[in-house]
Amino acid sequence: MRWMKGVLVVLLILTFAGAGAAQAKLKVGFIYVGPIGDYGWTHAHNQARLIVEKELGVETIFVESVPEAQVEPFIDKIIEQGAKVVLTTSFGFMDGTLNAAKKYPNVIFGHASGFKRNPNMFTYMADFYQIYYLNGLMAGALTKTNRIAYVGAFPIPEVKRHLSAYALGVRAVNPRATINVRWLFSWFDPAKAKEATEALIATGADVFAFTEDSPTVIQVAAKRNRLSFSHYSPMQKFAPQHVVSGQLVHWETIYLDFLRKVQAGKYTATNLANVDYWWLLGERAVEIGGEFGVPINPLFVSRLKAARVSVPGLGRMSVYDLIQRRTAQMTKKPLAFDPFTGPIRDRKGVLRVPAGKTMSVLELTTMEWAAPGIVGPWPKEP
Amino acid sequence: MSRIGPFEITRRAAPPLTWVLGVSVAAIAVALLLVAVIFWSYGVGPVRAFSVITRGTLLSGRALPEIGRNAIPLLLAGVGLVLAFRAQFWNIGAEGQILAGATAATGIALFLPFSMPAPWVLPAMFLAGFVGGALWGLLPTVLRLRLSVNEVITTLMMNYVAIYLVSWLVHGPWKGPEMRGFAFTNSFPPAAVIPVIAGTRVHWPTLAIGLLLAAGSAVLLSRTKLGFEIRVQGENPDAARYAGIDPARTTLLVMLLAGGAAGLAGVGEVAGIHRRLLDPNQISLGFGYAAIIVAWLARGSPLATIVTALFLGVVFAAGDVMRVGLQMPARVTDVVNGLILFCLIGSERLLYYRVRWMPARARPSPAAVGAVGAEGSARGTSGGEA
Amino acid sequence: MEDVVSTIIRALALGSPLLWAALGEIYAERSGVVNLGVEGMMILGAFLAFAVAQTTGNPALGLVAAAGIGGAAALLHAAMAITLRANQYVSGLALTMLGLGLSAVLGRRWEGLPLLNSLPEISSLTYAGLLLAMALWFILYHTSWGVALRSAGEAPAAADALGVNVSLVRYLAVVFGGAMAGVAGGFLSVAYRPSWTEGMTAGLGWIAIAIAIFAAWDPLRAVAGAFFFGALFHLSFRLQTWVAPEPLQMMPFAFTILALALTTQRGRRRQGAPEALGIPYVRGER
Repeated sequence: MRWMKGVLVVLLILTFAGAGAAQAKLKVGFIYVGPIGDYGWTHAHNQARLIVEKELGVETIFVESVPEAQVEPFIDKIIEQGAKVVLTTSFGFMDGTLNAAKKYPNVIFGHASGFKRNPNMFTYMADFYQIYYLNGLMAGALTKTNRIAYVGAFPIPEVKRHLSAYALGVRAVNPRATINVRWLFSWFDPAKAKEATEALIATGADVFAFTEDSPTVIQVAAKRNRLSFSHYSPMQKFAPQHVVSGQLVHWETIYLDFLRKVQAGKYTATNLANVDYWWLLGERAVEIGGEFGVPINPLFVSRLKAARVSVPGLGRMSVYDLIQRRTAQMTKKPLAFDPFTGPIRDRKGVLRVPAGKTMSVLELTTMEWAAPGIVGPWPKEP
Repeated sequence: MSRIGPFEITRRAAPPLTWVLGVSVAAIAVALLLVAVIFWSYGVGPVRAFSVITRGTLLSGRALPEIGRNAIPLLLAGVGLVLAFRAQFWNIGAEGQILAGATAATGIALFLPFSMPAPWVLPAMFLAGFVGGALWGLLPTVLRLRLSVNEVITTLMMNYVAIYLVSWLVHGPWKGPEMRGFAFTNSFPPAAVIPVIAGTRVHWPTLAIGLLLAAGSAVLLSRTKLGFEIRVQGENPDAARYAGIDPARTTLLVMLLAGGAAGLAGVGEVAGIHRRLLDPNQISLGFGYAAIIVAWLARGSPLATIVTALFLGVVFAAGDVMRVGLQMPARVTDVVNGLILFCLIGSERLLYYRVRWMPARARPSPAAVGAVGAEGSARGTSGGEA
Repeated sequence: MEDVVSTIIRALALGSPLLWAALGEIYAERSGVVNLGVEGMMILGAFLAFAVAQTTGNPALGLVAAAGIGGAAALLHAAMAITLRANQYVSGLALTMLGLGLSAVLGRRWEGLPLLNSLPEISSLTYAGLLLAMALWFILYHTSWGVALRSAGEAPAAADALGVNVSLVRYLAVVFGGAMAGVAGGFLSVAYRPSWTEGMTAGLGWIAIAIAIFAAWDPLRAVAGAFFFGALFHLSFRLQTWVAPEPLQMMPFAFTILALALTTQRGRRRQGAPEALGIPYVRGER
C-alpha cells in the first residue's frame, strides 16, 4: 500500500513538474519570407530570434523562404509543433496571418510591416526613415560630384519613404546634390545590384545607399573607390575603408518587449487589437552605423567635422555636430525633430506636408511621392 | 540478347504495365535512399526524418488537402506538357503560361470596362486564362515552326518576359489602393473567386476541370485522328511525313492546348488561392517547372498525370515538413526532385529489357517456361540496381 | 565616349562567365549532347569556388575546384545521356534542380561571409576566355580532334566506322563543358561579386545556353553573343533614366528570343546545329 502511494506521489510530482516546465517554456514560431542567409531582412529577424532564445529562455522554431500564399499551411505546421506565439515577417503574409489568427483564437500572432490586427494579432515595424535622413546628411557632405546614388529594390512606399528621407537629408546640407535612383525589382539579386551600381558610377555618382539584401553595392562601390552606406546588417566589414555609416536594425527590442509582456500575462490572445509597434531610434529598434556601436566610421569623422552648413534655427555648424544634434533630437521622447516636418514640396512642386505639420504614421506608410532632388524613374508617382 | 553474370538480357519493344510500375517504384526508392544519405550527412537520422515526413504528409489531416491543392496546378500544367512532349515539343515555358493565364483572368475579374452578370464571371475568367496561356505559348511555337528556333530556350525566355510583365502591372497600372501602395491588385470581387471545399484550400472547380482535361486528353490521344497524328509524329516523324501528317498543324494544336492548360492552372492560383494578382514570383510555386516532372513520370499518359501530380504534391508537402519539422533549408525540395528525376530517367533503359535469372549451368531449353517465377525475382533485383 | 567605354567594360565583366559557360556548352552540343544543366553546374561551381577560396585564401584554387565539381556534375549527365541513353532534356533539368538544391543545402554556412582575397573581375580570366574561344575555334575546325568532335555530333555512325570512339568523345566533351560551366560559376563568386548566396547564378546558365545556340555553335561567334548579352544586362540599368525599368529588364530575355529568331532564319534547318544533337548513339542502330 505504502509502496503504491509512493509511486503515486512520484507520478503526480512528475506530471505537474512536466506540465509546469511545459508552461514555462513558451514556444515562439518565426515565419520568414527569404533565406536566413540573405544578409538582409530575414537574416536580421533570425539574429533577433537567436537573441530572444538566449535572453528569455523561450524555445523558438523558424521556417525560411515561405512563399507569401503558403503562410497559412506553414502556420498550421508551426502550431502543430507547439508554438503559442507566431510571428510572420513579410507584408505579403498579412491576409494569411489574419485568417490564421481567426482560426486559432488562443494563439498569439504578430505581423511585421502590415496594418491589419485582431484581438490576438498585433503588428510591428522597426523603421529606418530617421536613419536614412542622418545618412543623407553625411552623404550630402561627403559627395564630391554632387551625385548621390540609390539602388532601390522595389518602388513601394517603404522604399520610397526611405529614399525621400535620404534625399531630404542630402538637400539639408547640400542643396545642389541630386539623388539618382535605379530599381532592381528584386529584394535579392547580386548581379542586378552590381550592374545598377556600375550604371550609377558611370553617371558620376560617388556615394551609395541601397535596399538590396546583399553587400553587393558596398563591394562594387569600394572596388571603384566610392563611398557607401551599409543596409540592414553590419556590412562595414565588406569594405572597411569605404563604408561611412548605415542602417542597422534591432528587431529583438520589439520581440523582447512583446514577449516579456506575454510572459508577464499583460498581453494575451484577447487584447492585441490595438497593439502596434512603430519603433524608431527613440526605442532603439534601429541604430545608425555600418557596424554595431560604430555610428560613423572614424575614417570620415574629420571630413564631416570640416564640412560646415548653416541650419535654420541653429546657425552655422559642422555637419558632424548637426548629425549629433539631430540624432539626439530624434532619440529623445517626445521627438524634438522629424525629417518629414513641413513645409515639404515633392519633386514636382506639389506641397505634400504643410508648414508646421509632421506626417502621421499612416501617411508615412502609404507615401508615394518623391522628395526634391531625386532623379530617376518613380513608378506610380502621384 | 546478352548476358551479364547469371542474368540473360533480351530487348523488348513494349514493356508491360506491371514492369513499368515496378521499375518506377524501385527508382523512386533508390532516390529516397539517396535522400536518406543527405539527411544523414545533414545530421538528421534518416529513420526519424522519414517518419516525421510520413506523419506530416500522408498521416496528417491538415496536410492531405494541401497535397490536393498543390496537385491542381501540377495536374493542369502536367496534362498539357504530356501532350506537348508526346508531339516532341519541349515546352519549358509552363511557368510563364501560368502567369499569362493568371494575368488574363485578373483582367476579367477587376478591369472589365463593363459589368458582367455574376454567374458568367468565373467561366469568362477560365476562358480568358486558357486563351492567355495559349497565346503565351504561341510565339515559341510559331518561331519553331517557321524559323526552326529551338523551343527550349524561347519558352524559357518567355517565362522571364512574363515575370516582368506581371511585375510591371502590379507595380504600375494595376496596383490597387487596398494594399497601401504595396505591389498587389485589389482583391477579386466574390463572383470572381473560385469556391473551395470548406476548411481547405482545394478549389474544386479547377480540380474538376483538371480531371476532365486529363480524361479528355486521354480520349484525344487514343480515339481521335488528331491523337493518332500526335502519336505518330512523336514516335516517328519520318513516318508521319509519309502518312501525310502536317507537323505544323499538330504541333500548333498541341501547344495551344498545352499553353491553355497551364493558363487554366494560373486562373486557379489567382482566383482560388491568392484572390488578387501579386508579385510574379509569389503566384506560382514553381508549378510550371515541377509539371515537367509530372509529365515525365506519367510517361505520355494523360490519365497517369492524375497520379503523378498527386505524387509531386506529396513531394512538395514533404519538403514543407522537412523545413518545419526538421528545420532544413528550403531548397531541400529541389534536391529531392532532382534525385527522383535522375533515378527515373536512369532506370528508363531497364524498361525495354527483359532480365532473366539464368545461370549458365542450368540453362533450360527454350521450350521450358519454368523460368517465370525466377523472372519475377530477377525483376526485383535488377530494379533495385537502377 | 566615356559611356561607350564603360559599357564595353561592363560587357566584358559580365560577358566573361557567360562566355566560359557558353563555350563549354558549344563543345558538348557539338559532340551531340544537349546539356540543359548549365545553371546547376554553374551554381555548384560558384559554391565550391567560394568555399575553397574562403578556406584556403586562394581564389585560383577555388576556380580549379569549381572546374572539378562542374565536370563531376557533367559526368553524371553524360552517364545518363550517353551510356543510359536517357532523355537529355530531362536529365539536364534534373541536374539544374539538383545543383541549385545541393549548393543551397551544403552552402549554408558560407553565406554572408566576406572574401578578403578575391580576383579582379576584368582579369586574366577575361583574356583567357577570349584566347580560349580562339583556341577552341581552331581546334574545332582545323585539327583532327575537331573533326572527331564534329563528326560525333553530325554523323556518329560514320564517325564510328572511321574509328572514332563516339562515346568517349561525347563523354570528354560533356565533362569539358561542365568544367567550363563550373569555372563560370566560380568566377561569379570569387571575382564578379565575391561572396556566396544560394541561387546567385539567377538564370545566367540559361542565357549561356541561348548564347551557344545563337552563336550557331561557333566559339568565335559566342564571344560576340556573350558580350552582347553582358552589355544588354548592364544597359537595362543604365537606361532607366529614360525608359521605364520593367520593359528594360525584360529586354535581355526578349532580345534573346529575337536574336535566336534572326540568326536561325537564314540557311538550312536549324542552321549550324549538329545533325545528331540530342540523339543517343547506339552502334548498329540508326
